[in-house]
Amino acid sequence: MLLPVNTKCECGHQNAVGTVLCEACGKPLEKELLESNEPLEMRYDGVARRSQKANPDLLDKIWNFFSSVKIAIYMIVLTFIGAMLGTIYPQASSFLSNTFDPSVYYPETYGLPGKIYYFLGLHNTYSSWWFIALLVMIGTSLVICSIDRVLPLYRALNKQQIRKHMSFLKRQKATYSAPLAGDAVEWTTQYGQALRKKGYKVTIDETGTALLAEKNRFSRWGPYINHIGLILVLLVLLARSIPGWNVDQYVSIADGDTVPIADTNYYAKSEGFKVELYDNEELPEELQNSGRVKSYKTDIVLYECTENCHDDFERPALTEVHRHTILVNSPLRYKELKLHQFDFNLTPRINAVSPMIVNLETGESYGPFHLTMVEPELNYEAGPYKLELIGKYMDFSINSQGEPITLSNNPNAPAFIFNIKGPGLADNGEVYMYFPLEKDKVRFSQDVINRELSKKIAIKVEGMENVDYSAATTYLNIRIDKAAKYLWVGAFFCMLGLTMGTYWQHRRIWLRIDDGQLTLGAHTNKNWYGLRADVAFALKRCGIELDPKSLDNGGHKG
Amino acid sequence: MNWLQFSSTSLSAAFFLYLFATVFYMVTLAGKKWSKGDPKQHEARWGKIAFVTSTLGLIAHLLFFFTRWIGSGQIPTSNMYEFVTLLGMTIMIAYTIIFFIYKKALLGMFALPLAIIVIAYASVFPSEVQPLIPALQSNWLKIHVTMAALGEAFFAVGFAAGLMYLLRVIDFKDTSKNGKRAQRWLEFTLISIMIVIGFIIAAFGFKGMGYTATFQQENASVSQVGEITTTTSTVEYTMPPIFKPYNSEAVEVQSFLGIQDGLLETPSWFNGVNSGRKLNTVVWSIIVGLLLYGIVRLIIRKPLGAAIHPALEGIDPDDLDEISYRAIVIGFPVFTLGALIFAMIWAEKAWGRFWGWDPKEVWALVTWLYYSAYLHFRLSRGWHGKPSAWLSVIGFVIVLFTLVGVNLLIAGLHSYAGVN
Repeated sequence: MLLPVNTKCECGHQNAVGTVLCEACGKPLEKELLESNEPLEMRYDGVARRSQKANPDLLDKIWNFFSSVKIAIYMIVLTFIGAMLGTIYPQASSFLSNTFDPSVYYPETYGLPGKIYYFLGLHNTYSSWWFIALLVMIGTSLVICSIDRVLPLYRALNKQQIRKHMSFLKRQKATYSAPLAGDAVEWTTQYGQALRKKGYKVTIDETGTALLAEKNRFSRWGPYINHIGLILVLLVLLARSIPGWNVDQYVSIADGDTVPIADTNYYAKSEGFKVELYDNEELPEELQNSGRVKSYKTDIVLYECTENCHDDFERPALTEVHRHTILVNSPLRYKELKLHQFDFNLTPRINAVSPMIVNLETGESYGPFHLTMVEPELNYEAGPYKLELIGKYMDFSINSQGEPITLSNNPNAPAFIFNIKGPGLADNGEVYMYFPLEKDKVRFSQDVINRELSKKIAIKVEGMENVDYSAATTYLNIRIDKAAKYLWVGAFFCMLGLTMGTYWQHRRIWLRIDDGQLTLGAHTNKNWYGLRADVAFALKRCGIELDPKSLDNGGHKG
Repeated sequence: MNWLQFSSTSLSAAFFLYLFATVFYMVTLAGKKWSKGDPKQHEARWGKIAFVTSTLGLIAHLLFFFTRWIGSGQIPTSNMYEFVTLLGMTIMIAYTIIFFIYKKALLGMFALPLAIIVIAYASVFPSEVQPLIPALQSNWLKIHVTMAALGEAFFAVGFAAGLMYLLRVIDFKDTSKNGKRAQRWLEFTLISIMIVIGFIIAAFGFKGMGYTATFQQENASVSQVGEITTTTSTVEYTMPPIFKPYNSEAVEVQSFLGIQDGLLETPSWFNGVNSGRKLNTVVWSIIVGLLLYGIVRLIIRKPLGAAIHPALEGIDPDDLDEISYRAIVIGFPVFTLGALIFAMIWAEKAWGRFWGWDPKEVWALVTWLYYSAYLHFRLSRGWHGKPSAWLSVIGFVIVLFTLVGVNLLIAGLHSYAGVN
């Protein structure tokens, strides 16, 4: 760009290098611009932006790069195209399983496109280096673009000269000129009065024949306030990767259980999970008996651990701190911790049984004795019988070598091995295997395992009242999001700025009267329609009636 | 008559009032040329009649909305039928607001047909009141959905004005390369609208015939612990199966033009809910839409754009350009608040995170980024007139994809709002 060496305007004002329109009188400074007859480009009032320097060094060049709105638009476009690509297939992060292998999943499910998708790293679009880099660059651009423009603009709007250069007025996109009869000072005052009625702040210079009317200047700061809000939002997004700021874990709690919540001092007890379905009367015809769910809820009691926390041997001392019925739209909130309803399992889980021991030869039964699944006692007595627990399997199975194993620590198929002493049994006891669940007795042939002993004695639960079980298991999502509160602050500024900048417009009207000749120019950043109506309204008050559209100087840019 | 019956009668009333209003707008415009009296007076009179009719339509539409709310005890924004009728209503609200700013009645020529198409589209979906599933039981349902729809409605009005601008300024006598290209794209846009109308015709046509086809589909899915399970499900079609579901067997297919079984199979990578049926519907829409377009072309014997162009000659293109831009500017903060900020607040409450890159969230963000690019193009790069109008048209395509396409093609948290 060829920069004019002498930046002093004929009105005597010294402008900064890069100034397009004199900051004081508005005269176009560049020769080419001065000679043209096109409407003026009024962006930032033609002031020099900070980035417009004569000899930029490297830092200036970086600054210039990020201060360009063109570059910013490219970054926005690249970001939304990137974001679109990420929705073609599900993101890897949407699979919760530990065994999920993206390198297998994508090619297998989607064929060659899936393979390419995985190869390009699009299965992790939103945490990829390039996507984050784009967000960081947009953030940088927001900061630099704003600083680059807001300070010079602030200066320019703060020291506006009232009497503008003729070519500045005539080349506004809304302009008017006509010869006036009568007193120029009086006319100007009258015009100013009319504009005051429309909410303009009117200033008239000392000669009384030049006027500046201005309205809603604050709306010019809207975009910058909006950008501050957006910067905050972006910082919040990045802050979520600070360790501990964004906890996202899952916990399953069977009815009645109390479990620790990972990485915290809290324990949660489920007092029961329930699914409620809509009754048929509440459903339209085609949804009858469809099992439409009315609510999922878990009654939760939250405890804080006060002693023996994370101790493997001592029971922790818990104090109740909060209680809440968790619904899908009503999480438990306690300080920064949130527990959300996520999933459930209606498979009952056995907790304890109180069986009787039966002497099959006499038909007499003794007991009951209480047998818990978790941490059972080692010795039991029931009438003449003494039982010693010598082994247990919580999830009994037989492996390929024919050996008994346990598949998990969950009591899905519990099995207990007792050494039983008593009448009719060997002196040092006989070994008896006991499956509390009826289905397992059959599945693993309890009677075959126990051979002759199964004809002498039996361990039996009589009636469901002797079985303690949890009807359901609730799955809760544990969340701690320390950045969220700042997000709302960012969102607030974002909306405040947007509202200021879009629902109000900065309107200015200048006029000067020289030897009975009126020259008027008007500018707004948005809504020329409204501005022209204001100009025409005030002209009408001064006796000049015209079609507002006739003020349009060809530019007419929204 | 109970509340719900009154409500659906109101919607029919609104629909017909909108139709009449469209006709009156056409009379306003056409009469300017043909009327014997003063064209200005004619425009003022008929423009007023048309606007009053469209406002009566909006009142009937609002009655529909609120009586349905009272009758069902829940805000009618929870399924596709309710959402799309809401969108039609917000388009009319947006149009009315813009009318009060600019007093340009002729915008109704395009805004009303848009609302009519949207309402017709809504009535393709089952209209019964469905009690809310737990995820939707929140006050944010009221605020988030209505605000987002209102923001999108302003974008829709921006689109209507942008399309009008293009039809007004694109010169159909221009034979230069650029001129030809502009004409082709404009025609393509109009054909796309015809395809949407084609969908509505096909849906109602086959519904009227009582057409059904049933397939048995086998689905393999990998559970969260890595177990592969196969389930079979029954898929019901209401249009003849050009594309049958992936991996399926015909159970019962009514014959239509000799179609006994699905002609083709839906590719496996269409992974939305009921993707086979949706793809089939899209294909039928294209066929019917193109047929419709062909018939219109045969009658008017020139491109559709060239036929509409002369009718708009009396309208100032600058006004259209400004209205299009202004509608988008007004809609942008509303959309930001409704579709992003309120959505984040609700997501934080329901799912524990304000943002999770769910496809619907991403597309709302894409829409927002797109329109912010539009605003920057316009303000800083000086894109006015044609480029700006094209951007408003493309923007609306993105809006529609966010609203409907995401549910159609991508599985995600918002897919409860089943698309036919």
